[in-house]
Amino acid sequence: MVTITINGKVVQAREGEMLLAVCKREGIDIPALCHHDAVEPFGACRLCMVEITKDEWNGWRNYVTSCLYPVEEGLIVQTHSPKVIELRRTVLDLQLARCPNSPELQKLAAEHGVNSTQYEIVPDGDNCILCGLCTRVCARLGFHAIATVGRGHHKEVAPPLKEAPPDCVGCLSCVQVCPTNNITYEDKGNVRTIWGKKFELLRCSKTGKATITKAFAEALSTRCDIPIDYFDVSDDEHRRQLALKMGSLADWAPKEQS
Amino acid sequence: MRIKTPAQLKGLQKKCRADIDKHPRRVLICCGPGCLANGAQKVSDEFKKILKKKRLRGFSVEALAETGCHGFCEQGPVVVIEPDGTFYTRVKVKDVAEIVETTIKSNKVVKRLLFTDPATGKIIRKYADIPFYSHQRRIALRNIGKIAQCDINEYISVGGYQALGKALTKMTPEGIIDEVSTSGLRGRGGGGFPTGRKWATCARIEESPHYVICNGDEGDPGAFMDRAIMEGDPHSILEGMIIAARAVGAHEGYIYVREEYPLAVVNLARAVEQARELGFIGDDIFGSGFSFDLHINRGGGAFVCGESSALMKSVAGEVGEPRAKYVRSVQKGLFDKPTVLNNVESYTNIPVIIDKGGAWFAGIGTPKSTGTKAFSLVGKVRNSGLIEVPMGTSLREIIYDIGGGIQGDRPFKAVQTGGPSGGCLPEPKLDLPVDFDTLTEAGSMMGSGGMIVMDDRTCVVDVAKYFLSFLNDESCGKCVPCREGLYQLHALAAAVSEGRATEDDLDKMEKLSEMIVIGSLCGLGKSGPNPFLSTIRYFRDEYLAHIRDKRCPAGVCQELIRYEVDADKCDGCTACIVVCAQNAITGKKKELHVIDQDKCDKCGACYAVCKRDAIKVY
Amino acid sequence: MKVDLSRLPQILEGHPKDPQSLIGVLQDIQKEYRFLPGEALEETSRALKVPLSKVYSVSTFYNAFSLTPRGEKVIRICVGTTCHIRGARQVQQQLENLLKIKPGQTTEDGKFSLETVACVGACAMAPVVVVNDEFHGGVNVNSARRLIRRSKKA
Repeated sequence: MVTITINGKVVQAREGEMLLAVCKREGIDIPALCHHDAVEPFGACRLCMVEITKDEWNGWRNYVTSCLYPVEEGLIVQTHSPKVIELRRTVLDLQLARCPNSPELQKLAAEHGVNSTQYEIVPDGDNCILCGLCTRVCARLGFHAIATVGRGHHKEVAPPLKEAPPDCVGCLSCVQVCPTNNITYEDKGNVRTIWGKKFELLRCSKTGKATITKAFAEALSTRCDIPIDYFDVSDDEHRRQLALKMGSLADWAPKEQS
Repeated sequence: MRIKTPAQLKGLQKKCRADIDKHPRRVLICCGPGCLANGAQKVSDEFKKILKKKRLRGFSVEALAETGCHGFCEQGPVVVIEPDGTFYTRVKVKDVAEIVETTIKSNKVVKRLLFTDPATGKIIRKYADIPFYSHQRRIALRNIGKIAQCDINEYISVGGYQALGKALTKMTPEGIIDEVSTSGLRGRGGGGFPTGRKWATCARIEESPHYVICNGDEGDPGAFMDRAIMEGDPHSILEGMIIAARAVGAHEGYIYVREEYPLAVVNLARAVEQARELGFIGDDIFGSGFSFDLHINRGGGAFVCGESSALMKSVAGEVGEPRAKYVRSVQKGLFDKPTVLNNVESYTNIPVIIDKGGAWFAGIGTPKSTGTKAFSLVGKVRNSGLIEVPMGTSLREIIYDIGGGIQGDRPFKAVQTGGPSGGCLPEPKLDLPVDFDTLTEAGSMMGSGGMIVMDDRTCVVDVAKYFLSFLNDESCGKCVPCREGLYQLHALAAAVSEGRATEDDLDKMEKLSEMIVIGSLCGLGKSGPNPFLSTIRYFRDEYLAHIRDKRCPAGVCQELIRYEVDADKCDGCTACIVVCAQNAITGKKKELHVIDQDKCDKCGACYAVCKRDAIKVY
Repeated sequence: MKVDLSRLPQILEGHPKDPQSLIGVLQDIQKEYRFLPGEALEETSRALKVPLSKVYSVSTFYNAFSLTPRGEKVIRICVGTTCHIRGARQVQQQLENLLKIKPGQTTEDGKFSLETVACVGACAMAPVVVVNDEFHGGVNVNSARRLIRRSKKA
């Protein structure tokens, strides 16, 4: 165990833990737009930056992204010092210049006292804040369908060759993790369209509800060794069946009439 | 034939030396970056042609050597005749026949090709006597210009690979690290981290394998020291790397060369093959049991890949996005394994340190910045070229005693050091010593060694805008402060340059700069605002002139200047009319030319071509 | 545009078949075809077992690669600091006017591409222009015009 101080409070942490996790556990609210527990920390948005020092540093302070900084014995952390607040405001201000129309960004910025950007608004900006969550989640799932394209200010997220991505299975994970809801898809009848690619949607044979794409089902079936007919029935329906079965096994269940 | 012992190597050295010394005279033709761009290859080919035909007694075409950068690029193409050290300047193809007749055949000089010192008017025959050279001390550049570029026999003839033999057969890895630590060598790429300490940390880590990498991604515009070393003395890098590998327990190494240096890749690859043939790379080197293999990786064209973690991603075949260095590369570097990454110039110093001892090296330079440093001295300076001086030499000595002062005797304005991460220093700072720490305190940094001299016709606002544009292009785009912050900082600098900014904008820029410095993920972003911060520190008035008076004092910023024809000087030669893309200049031959201000786009081509000084800039 | 990919297997043979070789392979393809054809990227993805999205990501990250064909003669104007203060801008504008293209573009007849590059390491000879692999130092407005005239004839 390691002892550190956060905002004046002495706290225990596990060896190798990242500062952000410890802060969250202590109930401290730190914004972290590019962070998600499902993927490795990235350090791109810089909002989770905190101020650190140690007694032996003679007053010298460093600013680090808490998502990536492992705890150290004797670390003294300030999560809302004036410089840190100013940094968060600057980052949000700059992001607003890039994505002026994003309601989520506007809300987060307003919470930090930034109601409009003081910088030059980037022409033709969409709502992508380049947090990389979509590409990282897609890679984590093993599909690698999309990636960042280009470099620097004109960097964007796109499928390869800007055409329908051959490796996409239409799982919608990218849609779900996007902090600004920038990624769109359409489900119409038995067809899902996303990233310019069309997928066949499977429907639950019991309830008729659209479940997942055939491509995703096949990928899961192969990778997790699940029989493909598992996907004939929706998760809801599976759960209902399972609940009935569990119920019938419990000793307080009404005995079957013999 | 593989060399198995130091004694064998000494024997080979003797033979190689004899092979060279048997020529009564040697012709060394500089084929460094500057001279090559100036036609040196054609000069060399002409020499070969004539010598093959002439068959001079006791003199063959083998006495000819194409060498790396001799350093005095301004005077190129350079040809040196040894053993006297006769130094011929600005040699053209048509001069070659005369040199062969006069100097090679008869040991006399071709006076008109010798160097004339502009300060004294004296003609100087030997390069060692020329002030440009006599003020220098060449350790990292010791062999360049003296041996054929890519020839292991020539390298061996001057003692090459003997330090490796000593390191592998007479020293322990700890002993090697001690020697390097004693030398006080600090990273020559600009970071200045103590090399010995880096190696010691890596050596201690149990996890394996270990790697050594050479950073040949010299991206700083204005710097070409590493290019000259990679092309002109590749074996010194290899020798340094193999010694480093032995010290830290690595058996595999990579040299990463930037994409824009194809000749460096070729020369390094040849050097690796030559070293392999003689057994300096491979198994059981010098019979010590130590094995090492080396790969050469070419960059893809990205300045950010000069940053060590981005470089390692590039070696692994990925996009060059840096990672936060809270866990250092010596612990988790290439493929997440312990890695030592050093700069080209750092490695080149290693064989000399092993050979002459760390204490010898530490006796040169200053206590905290030992040894020497190579610089590319370029820009508006008279003697542009590649130099090397002991640390602690003052900027003034470099720019005036070696550099010969400003071209055209124009007033000195600033010297830019440290590349895009550095800054501009004005005249009052010229007595500062060049080392790792002093220039940083003054708001710039020594960096990798690029030293760009500027005169009164350079606008610092334009320079700041230029660097911000460069960094904006080269940003990897991962983190917000760099990607968005430098973009906006550049937009504001452009506004100043175009006369659209207010004084509030300067405050905005200063605040934004501080946040970019604190918030960026890697060195590119963190030092990105430096060009602005250093120029506003020393040249605030120039910024204010652009803002308050809408004037560019240096006559550079296109929105704020205008070009006009001086009626007294114009002789109607039409040179300006020919180059004007906007057809904004009217006038017949031998008649006064007039610039239509409405059509003129201020490109400056007319100003550049007018030989009568008849175009004025306001 | 249809590209003859028959040389592609040979190019791939020259590299170990793992993700590390990606940049080296792309450089060889760029050299062979003067750009990176989409089909070549797909084949590379299969051969090196690297996801296509990653191949494309790398292709668009680095300056060396082009996804559209470059001209027979690639004219690279150095816009490094030294070249900049010694007049690279005038040279660039002159070349843009003569070729009627901007950096990043290729002439209609496919003969010339114009590019800017930030420092080729020949700073003492600034301003520098590189035509394919040939370096030209001390280039000014007039010598830039001569350079284009000579290149058009060659």
